[in-house]
Amino acid sequence: MKPDQLQQPSTERTAYTGPAVAASLSVLLAFFTLMVSHHISRLSPGLDNMVHSFGYWIPGSQGSGPDGSIGSYTGKETLALFVWFVSWLLFHVLWRKQNLSLSAWTKVFIAALGLITLGFFHPLSDPIVLFIAALF
Amino acid sequence: MSAGQYTHDNFTKILIRSQILIALLLLLTLVAADFWFPSAYSLKAGIHGVSAILAVLVGTFLTHRAFPLIKGMKVNLESLRRWLLAATLLNLAGAISGNWIYMRYRGQDGPRDWILAHRPLFHNVLMEFKEFISLFPFPLMLSATVLLYYYGLPMQIRRDLCKFVGITILVSWSFLMLGFVVGLILAKLRFV
Repeated sequence: MKPDQLQQPSTERTAYTGPAVAASLSVLLAFFTLMVSHHISRLSPGLDNMVHSFGYWIPGSQGSGPDGSIGSYTGKETLALFVWFVSWLLFHVLWRKQNLSLSAWTKVFIAALGLITLGFFHPLSDPIVLFIAALF
Repeated sequence: MSAGQYTHDNFTKILIRSQILIALLLLLTLVAADFWFPSAYSLKAGIHGVSAILAVLVGTFLTHRAFPLIKGMKVNLESLRRWLLAATLLNLAGAISGNWIYMRYRGQDGPRDWILAHRPLFHNVLMEFKEFISLFPFPLMLSATVLLYYYGLPMQIRRDLCKFVGITILVSWSFLMLGFVVGLILAKLRFV
């Protein structure tokens, strides 16, 4: 970048932090969807089939024998992709001209990512999932 | 204890670049060897291994670009966003090839069957963790890339945005490393 570019006033878009929060929040929601759909699919074969059905469009989602298949993982990926793109679009449109505190959001973002990551660690997450499932 | 004054003389540059090149070739050998493993799935395994290690290499290089960004130092954003785009595509390739090799992992008499019969915890805990966190780097890298292109080069003067993108790169790298190491453990335990 040339030095004179640095001294120019920022563009209108640069003034708003909303799009940055929208982009990262949608990623968080996608990971959360992955986690929830994964735990739901482990509760029963019927629920696993239900989650799996969302991923039938992905080549290799179904099959058997030595070549195997990707299985219900495709359904979890599809649901996560859907939530990711729809929420990104929605939050971007809503916040494209808003200033949100990035320092506060960074803390929430990192903490939520940490929690979701632990959510995929079965020794920790299974008792919580079973407790929640027992409520229904 | 001081390590002495750091200088970028010609010899140091040659030394650093040679070291990087040797490390790159050796790390690529580690996974490219999969192509010659005695398995009907060696091609799939090799492609996944090479795309994964390239994603790790570019992701690791990017952490060195993320630190100055977080510290508020001047960074060549034009170059950075091109590297980020490359990292995003490599992570996408790693995820797609991961899905491809995952088919055999779950296949009849595949690694999953063997691991469940001999060391079930490696599948029930490690693999079930790895298969999801390995999906994390791609969306994180993509969001960082999109932000750099969206805000454009004037973003350089916005400390908060630069810091956030830098942190996103570091977070993405940590998931990349976690996924890669667990993947190596599982491939060592039972190859496809």
